[in-house]
Formats: sequence, structure tokens, C-alpha cells
Amino acid sequence: MIHDSLIRERLVTGGKTASDVTRDIARPILNKPSTAWKVGFTLSIVFLGIFIVSLFWTLWTGIGTWNINKSVMWGWDITNFVFWVGIGHAGTLISAILLLFRQKWRRSFHRSSEAMPIFAVICAAMFPVFHMGRVWVGYWALPLPNAFGSLWVNFNSPLLWDVFAISTYFSVSLLFWYIGLIPDIATIRDKVKTKTAKYWYGFFSMGWTGSTRTWARYELISLILAGLSTPLVLSVHTIVSTDFATSVIPGWHTTIFPPYFVAGAIFSGFGMVATLLVVARKVMNYENYITIGHLEAMTKIIMLTGTLVGIAYLTEFFIAQYSGVEYEQYAFINRASGPYWWAYWSMMFCNLASPQVFWFKWARTTPWFIFIMSIVVNVGMWFERFVIIVTSLHRDYLPSSWVMYAGSLTEIGLFLGTFGIFFTCFFLFAKFLPVINMSEIKTILRNRE
Amino acid sequence: MAIIDNNLSLRNRNKMLVGVWEDEDKLIEATSELVHAGVKIHDVYTPYPVHGLDRIINARRSWLSIVAFLCGMTGFALAFWMIYYMYVQDWPVDVGNKPVRFTPSWVPVLFEATVLCTAFGMGFFFFLRNRMIWGIQPELLDDRQTDDRMIITVETGDHVDENQVLKIMKAHGAVELRERIAGVQTAL
Repeated sequence: MIHDSLIRERLVTGGKTASDVTRDIARPILNKPSTAWKVGFTLSIVFLGIFIVSLFWTLWTGIGTWNINKSVMWGWDITNFVFWVGIGHAGTLISAILLLFRQKWRRSFHRSSEAMPIFAVICAAMFPVFHMGRVWVGYWALPLPNAFGSLWVNFNSPLLWDVFAISTYFSVSLLFWYIGLIPDIATIRDKVKTKTAKYWYGFFSMGWTGSTRTWARYELISLILAGLSTPLVLSVHTIVSTDFATSVIPGWHTTIFPPYFVAGAIFSGFGMVATLLVVARKVMNYENYITIGHLEAMTKIIMLTGTLVGIAYLTEFFIAQYSGVEYEQYAFINRASGPYWWAYWSMMFCNLASPQVFWFKWARTTPWFIFIMSIVVNVGMWFERFVIIVTSLHRDYLPSSWVMYAGSLTEIGLFLGTFGIFFTCFFLFAKFLPVINMSEIKTILRNRE
Repeated sequence: MAIIDNNLSLRNRNKMLVGVWEDEDKLIEATSELVHAGVKIHDVYTPYPVHGLDRIINARRSWLSIVAFLCGMTGFALAFWMIYYMYVQDWPVDVGNKPVRFTPSWVPVLFEATVLCTAFGMGFFFFLRNRMIWGIQPELLDDRQTDDRMIITVETGDHVDENQVLKIMKAHGAVELRERIAGVQTAL
């Protein structure tokens, strides 16, 4: 017996039928690009241009164009790396964990949150790769025979774990995303009119027909991939945190880093998803699919994870005091009251204080406010990484090496430029592939219990 | 059991009866009724996953999870051998006098390699079993079968009472009935 749920609000509003779903969601793909798309895409290309110029300048002149120095050797570069990796990780985590927990509201946005990791990891990878300086020997980071000029890689080093973790993560995310896309690519294949489009959508749809046998296997593989992706994401961000935590730098050498980095990743990832979706639902007329209910659910998670990272910040302080290690204590007092106090308090405001506004229903249900908050969250998470890296490095054990650090124009250009990479990819994705998973949305049209 | 699921191909099929639905509940009713009447359903095509249909048509449970486990074990073994060969056998690297043999620091790489092999091994067998490859031509019965229409196909033969099949399909809300002979469909 099938009932309409009396308790839960409908996940898709507007009384849509299956063919409405196809028509609405495929509209941007089947029609000519809208003005909003053109403006957004052009802006992204401009930022991409900034990236190319900054990168060219870095390669032409050398890493000396960055302001990193012997004390602050990681600077903006690794800050940006962790920032993008965090955003990337959250995408899969959101999608996979919510699938495992059978959260049907994920269906409206999991496609875009699965696309995020792919684009974000590309942005993230730029930083450590070019930080190497001699980028043309970057392949030495891979476990290749020592005849290539180096010894075998060091399996005790978290930086090597990173190489394995991030490349595995990128490829598994791509597979997860692509398998999820196949049924929708097939739908587009059967809707497009031009010969070229028919050929390419046909090519990538791999002959999908929607046979029940295929669907059963498809659902099984999606579930197993989600089950694999969840610990994978946890492992990858744990490994990124061990880049710091296995060192003996005060402020980094803490065991709280893995869970705190993972919570931070979900926090920043939901921030980025909210940024993208609040805009997408308006510009692409997806208000019936990404409802206020979806946004509200996201803001609750933002508030929860923001509070978690906030507690982690406070715990770090407590442990520094409790440890009795004066270097550790100094590192934390210096964070909050030293020359970079503004970065620390920006982080505290953006990540701990500001998400508390989501206790109020108005804040959770007003799209323009959620958009602003999602930007605040992302600014806060960038500051978190900046605080961890720069405040811990700029005053080390030897006071004679204490320095101040600020990003150079090239470093700033590279960071802004990665937004160009990310949004160029995202706009292309929104033009050529369905941003919302059509086949999954069709299963929840009836709001069954 | 062949690895590639040849049931999915419509090529070289004899005469088939094709019923088209627009309502999921009626489709499920019709499928159950056909199975009850002893009709062997060739396949059901839906634009989205309809839960329970695979059990109704008695599709065999997929072996993908076992395949995934085996691929994972292979990945683990390969990574273990790689680390052992590079790090212990061929050229142990002494960094800060840290141990190299079977330390917990092997775990991250072992884990990542296991996941990588599981995912891609499973993906490979998923595509193989479903006859999915880039560029293959889809064998469609209706332009809207990936949009909003659902289709049941029954392969006819000596043991199938065609009239009974059509009667059940019609009684349970089929919006169109067709027969497909040598790749050509005609409305009934």
C-alpha cells in the first residue's frame, strides 16, 4: 500500500511529472546558453586568465616570485592546497554519507557536490605541484625505479601518503560521478537534436537503455562506491592533516587534527555547495527541485560542523595549556594575540560564531542570507588554514629566524586564478551535463513513505 | 555463467511483445501478474530505478560485491608487495633512523591501493557485465524509455500464449502494445 507522507514536506514541489523533470533539468543543455551563464562563464575565463599569467610568471622567473621564505616555507601555497582539498573532500563525503544514511534530500544536489571534488582537486593539485619548483621532475613523487634519478620513495612520509591518497581520491571520485551520470547522459542522448550532440552523448552513455537488470547492478555499485568513498574521504583528509600533525612544529603536533580537519572539510564543502546551489536554483529555475527545505537542511549541517570545528579550536587551546609545553603554549597565545591576531579572530568569527545564526529559522530559510553566510564560511575556512600554517611557522624555536609573511601578488593571483579553473569547469558542467540527477529525482516525485 | 549479460541484447531475438506504461504502480502490477501467469519476462525498461522489479522478474542477485572484495584483496596484495620490494628488499631508506619493516606507516598506502583496485575493478566488471562500452549503439524500444515511459518485453515462442500476455498487459494499464519482429515494431 502506498501512502503520501503526512509528516514530511515534499522534496520536489510544483506537482512535477517525470517528463517535467526531464524538460526542466535538461533545459539549459538543450537550449542556447542564457545571459547569466554567458556572464558567469566570461568572468570565470577572466580569472582563469589571471591563473595562467601568474603561473607563467612563477615558471618564468621562479618560486622567488612568491614571498615564502625559510621560516614560512608553506605560506599561501599550502593554505590554498588544503582549502581546495577540503572543499573537494566534502563533496564526496556529502554525497556518499547521505546515500549510506538513505537521505533522500541529497538527490537534488549530490550531482553538483560530486562534481566539486573533481574540479577542486584539480585546483588543489596545482599548488604542491608548482611548489616543487622543478615541476618537470614532479613524477619523482611517484614510486618509480630509482634509475629515474631519485631513490625509491619514502613510505614513512605523509607527503607520499598524500600522493597516493589524492590520486586515488581523484580517480575514484571521477568514477563515482561518471557512473552516476550515465543514465542521465542517456536521457539527454534521446532528447538532443543535432547529430554531433547525439553522437557525443551516445558515446558517453555507453549504450544505456534502462534495463532492470542494469539498474539493479547500478544501484549496487553506487552503494558499494559510496561505502568505499566514505572511509576514503576520511582517510584522505586524515592524511592531509598528518602532513602537519606528524611534524614537531608547535601548533601542528596535535592528535586532534584528523577529526578536526574532516569536520572542517564538511563545513567548507557545505559552504561551497550552498554558494553554488543558491545561485543555480535561481538562475536555472530549479526552485522546485532545490527547495527551501533543502537549503534549511544544509544550514543545519553547516551549523553543526561549524560548532565542531569551533570546539576543536578551543580544545587545542586547552591541550596546549594542559600539556605544560611552553613552546606549544606560546604558539597558541601568539595565534590569538600575536601579529596575526586578525587572521585568528576572523577565523573564530567566521567558523564558530557566525554559523550560530542558523539557530534562527529566518536565517535558515532566506536564500540571499544563506548565500552570504556560505561565503563567510569559505572565507573562514581559508583563514583557518592560513592561521595553522603561517602563525605556526613565522615564529619557530629560533627567535633569530622569526619573520613576517604576506602573500605576493603572484601568490594572490594564483589563488584567485584557481577560482577561475573551478568555475570554468563548473559552468561547462552546468551547460553540458544535468546539474541535478534526473533519474533519482523521478523516484521521489510521489513522496512515498 | 557468461561474464557479459547477453540477456541485455535485443539482437537476434525472435518475435517479442512490447508493452508500454506511464505509471509505475501499474507497471509493477502488470509485471507481477505476468510472472504469476507463468510468463517469462525478457526485461523491463524504466527511466529510473523501480525498486523490487528485479526480484519480481527473478533476476539473479549480482555478484558485484564478491568481485569488489576480490579486487580489493588483489589491490592490497599488490601494494604490500610493492612496499616490501621497494622499501625493505631493494633499497631500504634510513630517514632519521626510523624503522621501515611492517610499520603502521604502511597502512595509508595499503588502504588507498585497496580502495583504488576495488573501485576500478568493480567498475570494470560492472561495465563488462552490462555490455557497456564507450560508443556502443543503444538498442532502444521507445524514444521516451529514458524519459518517462516504462516497457515490458516478453519473448514469444511455442510455450507462450500471446493472447494471454496481451490481455494481462492491457488489463493492467499498458498505454501501447506492440510486436517486434526482426527489429521492426508494429502497433497491435
